[in-house]
Amino acid sequence: MAPTKDTMFRSADMSLTQLYISNEIGREVVSALGELGVMDFRDLNSETSAFQRTFTQEIRRLDNAERQLRYFHAQMDKAGITMRSIYDFNNPFTAPSASEIDELSDKSQSLENRVSSLNESYEQLKKREVELTEWRWVLREAGGFFDRARGQTEEIRHSLDEDDAPLLQDVEQNGQGEAAADRSFSVMNIGFVAGVIPRERIAAFERILWRTLRGNLYMNQSEIPEPIINPENNEEVSKNVFIIFAHGKDIIAKIRKISESLGADLYSVDENSELRRDQIREVNTRLSDLASVLRNTKSTLDAELTAISRNLAAWMVIIKKEKATYETLNKFSYDHQRKTLIAEAWAPTNSLGLIKSTLQDVNDRAGLSVPTIVNQIKTTKTPPTFFKSNRFTVGFQTIIDAYGTIKYREVNPALPAIVTFPFFFAVMFGDMGHGIILLAASLAMIYYEKRLLRSKLDELFSMIFYGRYIVFMMGLFSIYTGALYCDMFSKELPLFKSMWEWNDNGNGGIGPGSHRVEGYTYPFGLDWRWHDTDNDLLFSNSYKMKLSILLGWCHMTFSLVWSLVNARYFHTPIDIWGNFVPGMIFFQSIFGYLSFTIVYKWCVDWAARGINPPSLLNMLILMFLQPGTLENPEEPLYQGQATIQVILLMMALVCVPVLLFLKPMYLRWEHNKARALGYRGIGENTRVSALDDDDDEGQLLNGGGRESFGDDEDGIAMITQDIGHGEDHEEFEFSEVMIHQVIHTIEFCLNCVSHTASYLRLWALSLAHQRLSIVLWEMTMKIAFGFTGITGSIIMVAVFYMWFVLTVVVLCVMEGTSAMLHSLRLHWVEAMSKHFMGDGIPFEPFSFKTLLEEDPVE
Amino acid sequence: MANGWAPFIGLIVVAIFCAGAWFAAPKGDNQTIWRSTLLLSAVAMYLMWVITFLAQLHPLISPIRYDLRSDNEIGG
Repeated sequence: MAPTKDTMFRSADMSLTQLYISNEIGREVVSALGELGVMDFRDLNSETSAFQRTFTQEIRRLDNAERQLRYFHAQMDKAGITMRSIYDFNNPFTAPSASEIDELSDKSQSLENRVSSLNESYEQLKKREVELTEWRWVLREAGGFFDRARGQTEEIRHSLDEDDAPLLQDVEQNGQGEAAADRSFSVMNIGFVAGVIPRERIAAFERILWRTLRGNLYMNQSEIPEPIINPENNEEVSKNVFIIFAHGKDIIAKIRKISESLGADLYSVDENSELRRDQIREVNTRLSDLASVLRNTKSTLDAELTAISRNLAAWMVIIKKEKATYETLNKFSYDHQRKTLIAEAWAPTNSLGLIKSTLQDVNDRAGLSVPTIVNQIKTTKTPPTFFKSNRFTVGFQTIIDAYGTIKYREVNPALPAIVTFPFFFAVMFGDMGHGIILLAASLAMIYYEKRLLRSKLDELFSMIFYGRYIVFMMGLFSIYTGALYCDMFSKELPLFKSMWEWNDNGNGGIGPGSHRVEGYTYPFGLDWRWHDTDNDLLFSNSYKMKLSILLGWCHMTFSLVWSLVNARYFHTPIDIWGNFVPGMIFFQSIFGYLSFTIVYKWCVDWAARGINPPSLLNMLILMFLQPGTLENPEEPLYQGQATIQVILLMMALVCVPVLLFLKPMYLRWEHNKARALGYRGIGENTRVSALDDDDDEGQLLNGGGRESFGDDEDGIAMITQDIGHGEDHEEFEFSEVMIHQVIHTIEFCLNCVSHTASYLRLWALSLAHQRLSIVLWEMTMKIAFGFTGITGSIIMVAVFYMWFVLTVVVLCVMEGTSAMLHSLRLHWVEAMSKHFMGDGIPFEPFSFKTLLEEDPVE
Repeated sequence: MANGWAPFIGLIVVAIFCAGAWFAAPKGDNQTIWRSTLLLSAVAMYLMWVITFLAQLHPLISPIRYDLRSDNEIGG
């Protein structure tokens, strides 16, 4: 069986492969396969928990190393050191050896110890510095209080004698004699507490003190002008210095307790001004010593982090890859006796050669005599769906995948969507100028692709950037449809001679009516003379509505044909005769006929025939409600119209029961035939024996079944075949098939109507887009053209910018998004419902590249 | 029916283009993508052109000017 070339039309041919890897080179093999990124490993130990697996130890060690690296990164962020970008490395993707990994984890361990000890001492020093700074402030501010308070000792004593005298009678009364000042507080048995408290707590502090001490205190406070920085979280806190004088030891102790509980820091202050000055001097020297030590520590730490920052990105990549490798190795089954790892993976058949040569390389490098064995296994399991996509197709593929995973080997709707998706967008977005803007934007994104890929983009822009090739196609088609609609920024495009000439109105002017240039049809697109006419909308609405119906008919017929292609590929002729053919006849006899009449009506020169053209809408309605009658029997669309319509309607009606019954009846017949010949499903048998309560037989059947391909005498688990039963052998249940078909029939017949109507959104959105751009032009540029002279030019420039910004934001971005969503809907619902099966399993290969893309190192 | 043949001429042009695109599509992995994209684009663009053309082949209404006076002033 020669492997065919994989194209985007169908998903790649996959095969289930089994690898027998010698235990010593397991890591190297998996890491090489990770670089290759084409194998989707199956988990062979799904019943064991994460802790029971073979390589849990290694993963734990790597987790630790990863944590350390993240710690360095956090420290670097804190210190404001930027990491060397991953793109600056020549080749960060070389696979490291096991010893290098060990070295790396040891190194990061020692570095972590060093950095954390440096950090700890730095933080401690910083804390000390803050304390000293606060103390200095207390000393400085407290000095003032003392000077003021001393002047009032006399009064305080006085107030002590007189119980009813207020404690804080006159704070500003300072000018008392020095004699009083000499008397110490201690003589009066007055104690004091000094400290620092966060500013927002000061009010509460004051209130609590006042209430608990019943006013027996004298408190003074002042704000520290500069905020104090908390070294633990680098937050700035503004604080106040306070000093409280009170009478008696108990009260002082109480004050201390209260202030400590409220988060105040207390500092000792000497009441003697000389001693206080000494204290200040001492604090200052200690502060300056501390500052130099701090500087040293900081610079050592920074140097250490800078050294780390040079390699951190590469280390992170290495550890990440290594962890993924071991996680994959954990999916393998391990044969303890033979020291062999057994792996199972899905891989594209076309890549098998590449896989084999890679494994050979690894083997040669390791110098191992035992080769790695690659087996292809035949299986009934559904392979995963895989499309090899490139930069251009990935966006379109994502659009389809967002709806559902494509079934293995079915027609890929993304391939035609490359054209139809942007084309339907353009039908709604048709404006040459806006198309040029889109095209320019997408070309810019494509040109700066590499640079943009590396930089960090915000969410919205990264989405647009991801779909840059979609935007490119959208721009191209919008220019084309804009030319056909004859719209450029809502203005006409007189490319060719018009087919209309204005009538003379008799007095030298040109008249409201017009006549056609004989025998001439405008060759490309809509005639520009329709622009700014009274009946512009009358004509363009009729044209665009019919355009939508015709394009919708083409698109749906096209999609319906894919169901034929699928049925032929999967060799299910019943889908052709039971679904495709009746469906196609039903659709064509109603909507194919409608499309035909639209084109036919256009092709007939009704004026030359001298009869009024019949209305197509009424015709269609009458075709259903009163078959065989016409709205105007004297003036039919063509001879024999009534008869043909009756025949078409009959054809459509006949198709409904065929659609409804043929497939289920055929399947039932086929099933009964098979049963009559004595075939039974495996699952069915087991169930029957279980029902009979015949345990022995059931076990024998089960056990025997497993033994034959499950275990061999050495106990090697070949796990392939016994998973996935019940998955493939579904029991035939007629009622289920019938219900499914009834739903399908109802859906299909109703959807033919609703989906055709749904394509009218092409008309609605293109109308909205055109009207909006006309309104924008008239509100801005047309007004600006009314002014002349210098003011005119200034207004013109300003208005032009406004117009341009609104054009980009409203017409291109907003309208573009809405047109895109509508086009998306037309594909997901209207087109894909006709053929898409979509019950595939996505292919998720073990690949370092996707791993790093999903979780980038930056 | 002077221009009645135009859609058929267009059809021939598109058919020739499609045949050319089929054979001129660059060989390699992306040949299918090239072919389907070029062919479908040609067909889709042709369809839209031909629909627009046919819609104006025998138009039932003709343009009527509005805002005649101001038009005369600007135009005159």
